[in-house]
Amino acid sequence: MSDCMTASQDRSSSRLKTRAPLWLRLIARKELGVFLALVVMCIFLSFATSGFLTSLNLLNVGRQISLLGIMAVGMTFVLISGEIDLSVGSTYALSGLSTGLFIIMGLGVLPAVLVGIMVGVAIGLVNGVLSTYGRLPSLIATLGMMSIVRGIALLMTDGQPVTVNERNGAIPQVLERFEFLGQGYLFGVIPMQLVFFAIIALIGWLLLSGTAFGFRVFAVGGSAKAARVSGINAERVKILSFVIMGGLAALAGILSMAFLPSGQAGRTGLGLELDVIAAVVVGGASLSGGVGTVLGTVLGVLIIGVLRNGLVLMGVSPFTQEVMIGLVIIIAVAIDKWSTRNRAS
Amino acid sequence: MTQPLVVELVDVTKNYPGVKAMNEVSIQFHAGEIHAVIGENGAGKSTMMNVMAGATQPNGGKLMVDGKETTFPSPLASQAAGIGVVYQELSLCMNLTVGENIMLPELAKRGGLSPLASVKAGHAAKPVLERLGIGRLDPETPVAKLSVAQQQLVEIARVVNQDVRLLVLDEPNSALSPAESEKLFEVVRGLREQGVSIVYVSHHLEEVLNLADHFSVMRDGQIVASFEKTDNVTTDTLVSHMVGRDVAVADQYSTRTSVQDVFGDTVLKVDGLTVPGVFEDVSFDIAKGEIRGVAGLPDSGKDYLGDAIFGLNQRSGTVEVNGIRLSPNRPVHSINAGIAYIPADRRGAGALLSMSVAENTIASSLKRFLRGGLLHRKLIRSTTEDYIGRFDTKVAALDQAIATLSGGNQQKIILSRGLVTEPKLLILHEPTRGIDVGAKAEIYDILKLLAADGLAILMISSELPEIVLHTSRALAMAEGQVTGQLSGADINEESIMALATRSRRHLT
Repeated sequence: MSDCMTASQDRSSSRLKTRAPLWLRLIARKELGVFLALVVMCIFLSFATSGFLTSLNLLNVGRQISLLGIMAVGMTFVLISGEIDLSVGSTYALSGLSTGLFIIMGLGVLPAVLVGIMVGVAIGLVNGVLSTYGRLPSLIATLGMMSIVRGIALLMTDGQPVTVNERNGAIPQVLERFEFLGQGYLFGVIPMQLVFFAIIALIGWLLLSGTAFGFRVFAVGGSAKAARVSGINAERVKILSFVIMGGLAALAGILSMAFLPSGQAGRTGLGLELDVIAAVVVGGASLSGGVGTVLGTVLGVLIIGVLRNGLVLMGVSPFTQEVMIGLVIIIAVAIDKWSTRNRAS
Repeated sequence: MTQPLVVELVDVTKNYPGVKAMNEVSIQFHAGEIHAVIGENGAGKSTMMNVMAGATQPNGGKLMVDGKETTFPSPLASQAAGIGVVYQELSLCMNLTVGENIMLPELAKRGGLSPLASVKAGHAAKPVLERLGIGRLDPETPVAKLSVAQQQLVEIARVVNQDVRLLVLDEPNSALSPAESEKLFEVVRGLREQGVSIVYVSHHLEEVLNLADHFSVMRDGQIVASFEKTDNVTTDTLVSHMVGRDVAVADQYSTRTSVQDVFGDTVLKVDGLTVPGVFEDVSFDIAKGEIRGVAGLPDSGKDYLGDAIFGLNQRSGTVEVNGIRLSPNRPVHSINAGIAYIPADRRGAGALLSMSVAENTIASSLKRFLRGGLLHRKLIRSTTEDYIGRFDTKVAALDQAIATLSGGNQQKIILSRGLVTEPKLLILHEPTRGIDVGAKAEIYDILKLLAADGLAILMISSELPEIVLHTSRALAMAEGQVTGQLSGADINEESIMALATRSRRHLT
């Protein structure tokens, strides 16, 4: 992680003469491998298909990956802090459905969205407290929460699909503004979902690499004991990471609701947690904590998005696509592990 | 010597890089006798045990079993020759029963599909338990439910069950109460009657005096003295042989004269500090500019003192820094009140191992490096460079991972991290463990400068020369209590050792 902290920072003259030159430091960056893989993939697809390298398709890819990307930024914090969150797919569903129901009930966009986000934040808080003060491994705590939250969504909707439209009671102006969040375009070109992703990624990057909180996340994930000795409240840092994750899963779920605009508690976001974790891990984060960057996560999300898009364009069957994506996850992480082991030895 | 010789070492030498861990050691172990091997940390006892256990190969000398020269290329070869070692760290499977643990070596030899019932059944372990005189222990009991003392007896039973003729016990009573120790001694004496040769490695001189038939004192890789029970040896004699190097080593370091002996106001006030099951009722003050040492053997409780004062574990009693009472379990509060803590486990608890030199330097004072909510990189850089220059820390770059530094340089960075918080009190636990001699001397010099600037320093250490040469006052602990306080010229290895080996029942 040292790269995010000090590698990019110093143009000031240094007493220490042995600093590597800029090009070497760029090569040494952990994200380089993922970045190169993405470039190779894009070049290949540009030649192999006629439809890939068009602005329409690229913006389309951008929209498709946005919701995954927003959640992956949150998961980056959780994984670096040394924990894991399996409940995000369920949170995505419950928050989206809650906001949808509130809009149908006649609430304004802002209050409805806030309620949805608060649902996610509350779930994150429970995850965090269970995994720290509750002394449960987060794998177990969030596995349980995954089921509980999904169950609450089913109970709340009686398992029926929820569609946000005027016929169901939404106020027309409110509905229009709500749908803009998921379906609209900024300046008529950039999908709103992508705008949200870009903003979240930027804030996430700043938070993780520039603030004391981000520092503490790395410290706690690297060694909770040493972090405690350094005066860092490890529990608080982990809980905050879960809360961020919960809030972002909620945001993604709400945007999905605004895009479709419908959802069903039994289907929405099912299995999404594994896609999110896969993207973050492909981006170089370690499941054992202490390692990862937002830039890497964004690249990981892009790889999975571009791969899926390219396979569709090339007419590969959806079944084969699943196999290919699984292979990419394994190969990407294997390369990362093998190269770090070589560096260590 | 009427009893037959079981194992004999002749001029055995074992070199590690830069150290002669064993230097031409010759020693004999006879059947039906208890031979106590005593010495300070690093005297060579562990190396000798490892050589006999086949865990390490000597560089020279002969290893004789029943008068025949042999080698132990592996621990299995040593076991086959009838040598069993019970290490200080227990190695029982806590999820299994007493019987299963005892039969474990037997199970390990079996094929994967051989039926378990006959070995696993409780009665298989019964004979050895009865042989040790602990037949009342139910083989079906899960080991996790036993006391540490009972677990130790199970461990001994497991080793003895392997047809042992020479049994090595490493610090066997370090975690036991006097009553439990007595039970252990009964078992050991019983084995002696059965003709087993017993090597008893221990710090606890008084107990050893009552138990053993022979005594060998090790120091600096050599056996410096040997006694028979009939020699009427005293603890004082043993202690003087254990530390006998006092003058010789002192010359290698700086002398005590540079240690400050005049102090200012009280900084730390510890009153009635107790960590249940570890130590109780520890009270002392430390003044501005003072370097206070705490010495003790591994089971004295001193190893938990730093964590307790800093607030890393549950405690009762009070800790005050400059009149501010600290809450337990709140390290953040302790840092804010002015404590900097450097734990003994440098890689596990001291360094943020996955982070860089610069990050480690500022980790305890993040708020001071924030400008508008963001970490100010230039300020971080300049502060880190200041401390690197001040302590002459050898680093290639500020973003170098601390894991890649040598122990001494890691320690200087961790020390810097503490000092960046501008503490009133510095607590160091084993400040120079695993650090080379040159860096050690540098760290002592740094500590003296800091003390001269008014910092109060608490140095908890297992290395006696460190306490003797670099502290202005020293506490000794034994069996969870403070057994004495020394100051000035009274701090010497004999006086510390005498206090550190004093056992509780001699206090009351």
